[in-house]
Amino acid sequence: MKLKVLAACLLAASSPVLAEVDITPPTSATPAEGLEAWSRIYEVASHPRCANCHTGASDRPMWSGPSYGKTRPHGMNIRAGESRIGAEHVLCSTCHTTKSDDWAKANTTSHAAPRVAMDWQLAPVEADWFGRTSVEICEQLRDPERNGDRDMLALAEHLDHDLILHWAWKPGGGREPAPYSLQAHVNDILIWGTAGFPCPEN
Amino acid sequence: MRLTVNGTEHEVDVEPDMPLLWVLRDELNITGPKYGCGIAQCGACTVHVDGLAVRACQLAVGDLADGAVTTIEGLAQPDSLHVVQQAWIDHQVAQCGYCQSGQIMQAAAFLDLNPEPTDEEIDAAMSAILCRCGTYPRIRAAVHAAAAKLQEG
Repeated sequence: MKLKVLAACLLAASSPVLAEVDITPPTSATPAEGLEAWSRIYEVASHPRCANCHTGASDRPMWSGPSYGKTRPHGMNIRAGESRIGAEHVLCSTCHTTKSDDWAKANTTSHAAPRVAMDWQLAPVEADWFGRTSVEICEQLRDPERNGDRDMLALAEHLDHDLILHWAWKPGGGREPAPYSLQAHVNDILIWGTAGFPCPEN
Repeated sequence: MRLTVNGTEHEVDVEPDMPLLWVLRDELNITGPKYGCGIAQCGACTVHVDGLAVRACQLAVGDLADGAVTTIEGLAQPDSLHVVQQAWIDHQVAQCGYCQSGQIMQAAAFLDLNPEPTDEEIDAAMSAILCRCGTYPRIRAAVHAAAAKLQEG
C-alpha cells in the first residue's frame, strides 16, 4: 500500500503544465503527407533518447545508442518495478534527481544521471516499443488502448507537458539528442493525426 | 541559503547549483556521506531527503526546496542505533567501509518502502551501491535481519 501511495504522489507531483510548443493542426493532410510525417515520428520514437525508457514488463530501462557503446540494460541492476518509478527497489529519483526549474547546467556532466523538473520514470508498460518496428510502434501510438486514450491533440499536449520528453532534445552530457525538434515532432504528430494516423504496410 | 540537516537548520553561502554533497562535506563538515564518483554511479554519497534515498552528488542544494536532509550521522536515535546500523554490526558487513554509509542509508530507505523484501528485491536495491570489497552476501543477510527486526516493531 505504501508503495502505491508513494507512486501516486510522485506521479501526481510530476505533471507540470508548461506550454512550450504551438499546437495548431493543419487544416488538411493527405495520407502520403501523413506517412512522411510518421517516418519522422518513428525516427524520434525509436531514437535511444526516447526508446531507452519505453521498455515493457521487464521493467529494465535500457542503455543504447552512440553514448553507450553496446546495447545493454541500465547499469547498477536498475529496475523500475510495477510502479515504473523504482519504488520497489531504487527510486529513479534517487539518482535522476528532480530539479526545481530548468537551470542550464543541470545535465552538462558526462555519464551523470539526467535531471529534469519532474520525477524521472519509465514509460507505461503498454508503451513498450524498444526495438520494435515502425509498423508496430505506429499501430501502438494510434491505438487508444495503448497510447493512454489519447487523440491527436492529447498526444501533442502530452509532448508539451512531459518535461522528460523535452529532455530528449537537449540531453547534455555528450548524449546525442533526438532528431528534429520538439516543435517539429509535435507538428508531425498533428500532420499524422490529421491525415488519419496512416501506418506503413509490412 | 538555509537547509535542515539532521534536525539542525544551517545557513550556507553557496551557489544554488552546488551539489548537496559538497555543501555537506565542505561547508558543514558532515563527512559521513562519501565522495566516490560524482555521477550517481556508486552511491557512496547517499542521504535521505524527506526520508527518500538521494545521491547527494546529484542534487543541487538549490533544488532541496524545504526538504529535510538526513545523513548517516542523523540516522540513529540518541539512545539507540537504527535497526539497519545494528544489523550491519551484527553481520559484520563492512570490510573497507568506504561505501557503508551509503549502503546503510539506501537500505534504511528501501525497507521503509518495501518492508518485506525478497532476495531478488534486495539485490536490485543494493547493487546500485557499489562495494568493491564484495560484501553483498552480508548486505543481503543484514537487510533481511533488519527487516525482521522492523516487523517485530
